[in-house]
Amino acid sequence: MAKAHKITGVIPQDSYRENARTILSQKVEEVYTWEPFIHDAARREELHNMRISIKRLRYTMELFRVAYRSSKTHAKGATTTNDKRFNEFLGVIVDLQEILGDVHDCDVVLEVLTDYGTQAVQTDVAPGIAKLIARTKEIRNADYKTFLEKWEKLSTVNFKQQLLLFLAS
Amino acid sequence: MVIGPKIEDISPDETLEVCARQIIVNYFHQMMSYKEGAKDGSDIEFVHDMRVTSRRLRAAMDNFADCFPEKSFKKLYKKIKLITQTMGAVRDLDVLIVRFEKELGTLPKVEQSDIRKLIAHLQQEREEARKPMLTLFTKLEETDFERKFLTFFQGL
Repeated sequence: MAKAHKITGVIPQDSYRENARTILSQKVEEVYTWEPFIHDAARREELHNMRISIKRLRYTMELFRVAYRSSKTHAKGATTTNDKRFNEFLGVIVDLQEILGDVHDCDVVLEVLTDYGTQAVQTDVAPGIAKLIARTKEIRNADYKTFLEKWEKLSTVNFKQQLLLFLAS
Repeated sequence: MVIGPKIEDISPDETLEVCARQIIVNYFHQMMSYKEGAKDGSDIEFVHDMRVTSRRLRAAMDNFADCFPEKSFKKLYKKIKLITQTMGAVRDLDVLIVRFEKELGTLPKVEQSDIRKLIAHLQQEREEARKPMLTLFTKLEETDFERKFLTFFQGL
């Protein structure tokens, strides 16, 4: 698993709100460093790293949610347009994390089944194991396809730019 | 799935350093609250919750690293990373066991026995994976890690 990128430009004595802008934009950029690899279904490691970067972005967005609320909302707990937009962006991030999580789960299951299958005393892989391998491969392919479709759709609407603009606001 | 600590109480106009201390301490308390359940091991959700919270804690520490003296911070960070890793080994096996148990019902009886053998094998691996986790917990207790962590981040 790739390490989190070092965050720069943080000023501890500046406000939480101001630092949110500095930190979140870097988290978004970290996610996109993995984009060049996603069109190759066999790049398991990079897809996994993208999932981890997305998870880090999600957790960081949740940490800084409070910095995107108007003072009115903060006091009364009401929902504003800003809250709504924040939740929509966060929802997309969670969705991407989950579908990449499904892809990763399949990769892990396939590795375990294949290792176990080849360890067995008999020459042929046991039928139950072979069936699960075939089934998991199908699910993995479908999940990967779903992920790519979602990603392409987001690219078409300039999701990255929209997110960065919102986070900088 | 665990829910993050009360970040709602944070004032965004306060300095990052003050908020960082508050968040890290909150996550740490939450993470440690799952420790006894994780040690017991009969409910797999405690390991899951402790691992997820340790990840959230690390994400916060990554973001707020510049608020703290580097050397001591890194030492404590490494310990949290170790917690995530040892718990991850157990959790990954829990997930696999649950998944294969669900698959059992979808297979004919003759093929189910193949999967039962695999599950038994993974359960043995899980028992092995729990040992480093339990050793780590003991070591953390012996070295007074909890107090040291809180003293550092509460700035006492």
